[in-house]
Amino acid sequence: MTATPPVDPRQLVDLLRAVAHGDQSAFADLYRHTSSKLFGICLRMLHERGEAEDVLQDVYVSVWKRAAGFDPSRAAAMTWLITLTRNRAIDRLRRHRERPLDDAAIDELADDQPTPALDAESSQQRQRLERCMDALEPKQKSAVRAAFFTGATYNELAERCGVPLATMKSWIRRSLIRLRNCLEQ
Amino acid sequence: MNTPRDPEDRDDLRHAEYLLGVLDADARTAIEREVERDPQAAAQVARWQRHLLPLAEDVAPVAPPDYVWARVRAALGFTGFEPRTTPAPHRPSLWQDAALWRWFAIGASAVAAACIVLLVVQPRAPSVPPATPVAYVTARIQQDNGLPGWTATLDTAHARLVLVPAAPNAIPAGRVPELWLIPPGGKPIAVGVFDVDKPTTLTLHPSLLAHVRANALLAVSIEPPGGSPTGQPTGPVIGKGSLDGS
Repeated sequence: MTATPPVDPRQLVDLLRAVAHGDQSAFADLYRHTSSKLFGICLRMLHERGEAEDVLQDVYVSVWKRAAGFDPSRAAAMTWLITLTRNRAIDRLRRHRERPLDDAAIDELADDQPTPALDAESSQQRQRLERCMDALEPKQKSAVRAAFFTGATYNELAERCGVPLATMKSWIRRSLIRLRNCLEQ
Repeated sequence: MNTPRDPEDRDDLRHAEYLLGVLDADARTAIEREVERDPQAAAQVARWQRHLLPLAEDVAPVAPPDYVWARVRAALGFTGFEPRTTPAPHRPSLWQDAALWRWFAIGASAVAAACIVLLVVQPRAPSVPPATPVAYVTARIQQDNGLPGWTATLDTAHARLVLVPAAPNAIPAGRVPELWLIPPGGKPIAVGVFDVDKPTTLTLHPSLLAHVRANALLAVSIEPPGGSPTGQPTGPVIGKGSLDGS
C-alpha cells in the first residue's frame, strides 16, 4: 500500500473512531496516512528493517484492537499513534538488548542525528520545545535527544557517552526538570 | 543537583523518564500498571507526552514495504479483497502488492483445481471511469515430488508475470531456475530466470503474450546463471503446470 502524506488531524480522529467501530476501509485509510511516519520512527529506534517491520505490524494490529481506547480529549490522534509505536519499539529493544552493548550497537547509538533546522512546517509546540532545549547545556541536550530517538536505557546512554551512570541520570533528570519549568511557565 | 527529594516531584520525574524511554523493562511495566489504575499518573504521563512528543516531528517518514500491510490484514484475519477506500492519490495497484501475491499463492496451492482466476480490478474512485477489467491468469507449477513449487500469475494487460514460491526444492549451487512457456505443439519460449525462493516479477515480451492461452504449459528448468545459452532448455525440467489448471 502506498503511503500518502499526513492529513488533517481531525480527519485522523474520525478515522480512528471509525476503526473503533470495525470499519476496515477507514483502517486502510489510516494506515495509508500514518504508516510512513510510524515506520520512520520504528526504523530510527530499531535500526533494523526486519525488526522495524515487525513492530509496525504489531502497532497496527494493536490500533485495530485498541482504537476504542483512543480519547481525543487526552491526545491528538497522531500523538496516540506515535506513543503506541514508541512503546512497542522500546519493548522490543528491552527484550533484545538487555545485555552489554557490543561495538556495533554503540556505533548505532552514536549515530543519532543532530537537530535539523526547524522550519515553518514544525509545529509551534516543536519550536517551543526547541527553545527550551536550547537553554540546556549542549551535552545534556544531546543526551535527551539520544534518549528519545534511540530508546536507550540510562545504562546504555552512560556507556555510550563514557560517563558514570549517576552522571547520566543527573544530566537527564536535570534536563527534564528544566524542560518542564520552561514549558509550563 | 540530583534527584529531587520531594516525592511528588520524584514521581513526576519517573513519568517523564518513562515517556523519554530511559527506564528498564521492569520500571516501565510498573509505570504502565500505575497509569492503568491511577488517573493522576495517567494525566502526568499525558502531560509529558505533550511536552516531549513534538520531538518526533524530527523523524523523516519512510514508506514501509507493501507486504507489511498485507501482514497486518492477515494477522487480523481479514480475508477477501481490500475494501475500497476513499480516493487516494496513489492507490497501489494490486499488482505491486507482493505480499498479496504470496497469500494468493497459498490460496492457489490449496485449491488444486481452480487455477485460472479472473480478477476484476475495482475502479479507483466513483469519479473515475471504471478501469478496463484486467485478466489475471494463475498457474500452479508442480514439482516431481507432487508439491507445488511456485505459483505463476500472468497479468496480460500489463505484460507481466509474478512467480511466488510455494515449497520449491533447493536447486544446485551455481544454477538458476528458468521459466518457459510452451505453446501447444510448439517449442518452449524463454520467459526468464527468477529467484528460487523469492517472489519475482518478469516482464513478458509482446511476442510471448500471443502464446498465452489456456492450453499452454509453463515449465521450469535448471540452467546456468543468466539462463539457457541456447534459447532452449538445457538442464532438467523440475516443474510444470498448465494455464488451464490441469
